[in-house]
Amino acid sequence: MSEHKVIVVNKGMVRADYNFWVGRYLDKFFDNLENKKIVGNKCSKCGDVFVPPRKICGKCNVVIPLEENWVDLPDTGILKNYTITPYRVNDRTHRKAKDLLLGMIQIDGSNTAIVYRLLDLKPDEIKTGMKVKIEWAEKPKGDPSDIKGFVKM
Amino acid sequence: MGRQVAIASAGFSEHASKRSDVNMAELVSEAIEDCLKNAPGVEFDDIDAFVNGNMPAFEGSNMPELWMTDWMGARNKPLLRVTTGGTTGGTVAIAGYYTVAAGLPKVDTVLAIAFEQQSQGNTSVGLASVAYGEISILNTMGIPYDQLSRLLSAGAAIGVAAYQATNYMRKTKTTEEDLARVVVQNRQNAAKTWWTHLKMPNLTVEEVLDTPYISFPLRYGMVCPASDGACAMLFTTEEKAKDMCEIPVYVNGVASVANETAVLGYDGSGTGQIDPSDQIGAMKSSELAYYQAGISFPRKEIDYAEVYSPFPNQELMWVEKLGLFEETTAPKMYETGVTALKGELPINCSGGVNATNAIGASAMERPAEAALQIMGKADNQVPKTVHTSIGHGWGGSLNLCTLMVMSDEPRRKWRR
Repeated sequence: MSEHKVIVVNKGMVRADYNFWVGRYLDKFFDNLENKKIVGNKCSKCGDVFVPPRKICGKCNVVIPLEENWVDLPDTGILKNYTITPYRVNDRTHRKAKDLLLGMIQIDGSNTAIVYRLLDLKPDEIKTGMKVKIEWAEKPKGDPSDIKGFVKM
Repeated sequence: MGRQVAIASAGFSEHASKRSDVNMAELVSEAIEDCLKNAPGVEFDDIDAFVNGNMPAFEGSNMPELWMTDWMGARNKPLLRVTTGGTTGGTVAIAGYYTVAAGLPKVDTVLAIAFEQQSQGNTSVGLASVAYGEISILNTMGIPYDQLSRLLSAGAAIGVAAYQATNYMRKTKTTEEDLARVVVQNRQNAAKTWWTHLKMPNLTVEEVLDTPYISFPLRYGMVCPASDGACAMLFTTEEKAKDMCEIPVYVNGVASVANETAVLGYDGSGTGQIDPSDQIGAMKSSELAYYQAGISFPRKEIDYAEVYSPFPNQELMWVEKLGLFEETTAPKMYETGVTALKGELPINCSGGVNATNAIGASAMERPAEAALQIMGKADNQVPKTVHTSIGHGWGGSLNLCTLMVMSDEPRRKWRR
């Protein structure tokens, strides 16, 4: 490339609108969130309880019927794992921001973990295995944002 | 030479314009349930490997095969994703075939799954991701994006199919009535198949011709719908297939051949073709697959065909290009009922892509239906015995053709 020739670049912008159909199982989960309740469903073969609920247990390849095996669960759980992000996520400027704490929480009575923010905690207060509790949104809407995060019990 | 491969089963999910009652993984699991229901002895433990595919970017989820692993029964098993645009389903089926044919130790039975949940995504954005080079240049030429998406996303790639239609119609003196007749046959056939989308048992030629043009000469009533749906096929060895089902369907030839891209050629993928109805890729893939299957007279030896035709002009074109009828004679065959359910060479008795188009799945639904016709398990079963059938797919950069030749006899005349 010794010659400095301008090569045409065609620039474009595509705006993309996508949906994600959550399906009937997750829909029921979100409906319960609106009433500040956590539900899961149970594999009839291995007994594993899924939060959020799902149609198929991959371990047993068993379909969990939509109308059956629902389990009411508490809004408490155990912190299984965590991470701390000192920078704004998705921020290209690498701006230092307030520490954001994210944790994997196993809801009591379930065999799975969900990832949510940990609230009102300083990084040196976090310990794997600690008991945590859901901080509900003031006005739940029936979507994932109904759980604001988890706080120490 | 690879192993003889057989199809033991095939299954579908219910198709509709919006399957918002299920997520993508659940939609896929429906097709797998149906597939395994058709082969009662088969359990997930019997399946050794998985092949999966859909149109890239249409739903905005890349790598869906990895998050739906559990829903496919593929946990802790080999899994491969293939995607080739509109032909994805055909390619996934062929990849399932290859996996069995390779004869690897401990890999005998393969489940191939193709799907699309178009209602989640944005088809024009999806197409943009497939043909961005073309589209960015059209934008700079002054064709704005919303206008472009109107041309490209009304069902499928109608902007290109329109040129294909005009070229074909000029060469063969086809009329709009001929096109409408194909549509009527398809939609009426679809009404007799449980999983299809556009079921129109009482549709008439006049009704089709009464709808407005979307892109001349294609009218609204002639264009395929955009569907949500999934399809699954079970490939296995000759020996195992005999235990899994009553009538194994042997795969005796596969081919997937691309010729030059048939759009504008701006994106550097090839020259713009002057006649997009040439479709040399279809002729080459049929030559190859028929040769592998030992078919010398396709018209005589093939009893049933499923061809990939979102638009009716394509159906006429494909049946000619695939050697089923002489060039320019296809419209006559539809008029005289040769291609009807009770005809001499029934075509698309499931209603074809013209009645149901979940893009990533469509090119697999063709060999799947063609296989079920041999097994005698199709919903809209043809009354005569089907010994040999073909399933065809079209897509890629509008230039790729996939073909699978199936028979109730394993190939005896394999020539190298």
